[in-house]
Amino acid sequence: MLLFRSEETVNAWCMAHNIPRRPLVNLEQLWQLALHWYAKRLTVESRRPGPDEMVSIFNSLGLTGPFWDQKSDRWK
Amino acid sequence: MSGDDLDVKVKLAIYEITADSSRIPNSSEIARKIDIHESEVLRAFARLHAQRLLLPEPADPRRIRMAPPFSGVATSFPVEANGKQYYANCVWDAYGIAAALHCDVISHASDGHTGEPLTLEVKNDRPVLKPYIAHFAVPTAHWWDDLIFT
Repeated sequence: MLLFRSEETVNAWCMAHNIPRRPLVNLEQLWQLALHWYAKRLTVESRRPGPDEMVSIFNSLGLTGPFWDQKSDRWK
Repeated sequence: MSGDDLDVKVKLAIYEITADSSRIPNSSEIARKIDIHESEVLRAFARLHAQRLLLPEPADPRRIRMAPPFSGVATSFPVEANGKQYYANCVWDAYGIAAALHCDVISHASDGHTGEPLTLEVKNDRPVLKPYIAHFAVPTAHWWDDLIFT
């Protein structure tokens, strides 16, 4: 998961590496993901979100579709 | 002590040492800290890996490559926090270190294609928003197929 200044540099990176362009995430969405995954990481109750919980978190941030579904087999 | 209890103890020790020292400890350091045999720590590492909570170093299971959001090796996402320098595994984890440590951070990162310096910052529990973007090249279902690439 890399950081880019703009869509132009994402497109150039994808072309240079022959990798299809996939979803883009802005910094606010990224911060919210960081909070969901890591805010309790140093505590006893820390745990990784389960598959359905992950989909729910992604959807709440506008990240929808099979790309964001850990159980999806569309990408095999 | 049950396996689950031991795993929690090992996990907390990993993160406590990492937060304090800015370096992910190896199995012998964990064993000393919580006073158990190193072989028990290695079994806990394997279980935590199976739960996708850490990634042992591929060629040396005594070392941890990733205890997300922290990296056991230098990366292009250095994160300054609490007067220390940590390394994040990716752009998400750069913010993740701020979320985990609950403190201000600054990361002198760079554009994934051009190498242009791009600074990420968290102040007072909020990111300093810029028009930068993260590209997720790998679908969620395959993140752990090759986590180092992801």
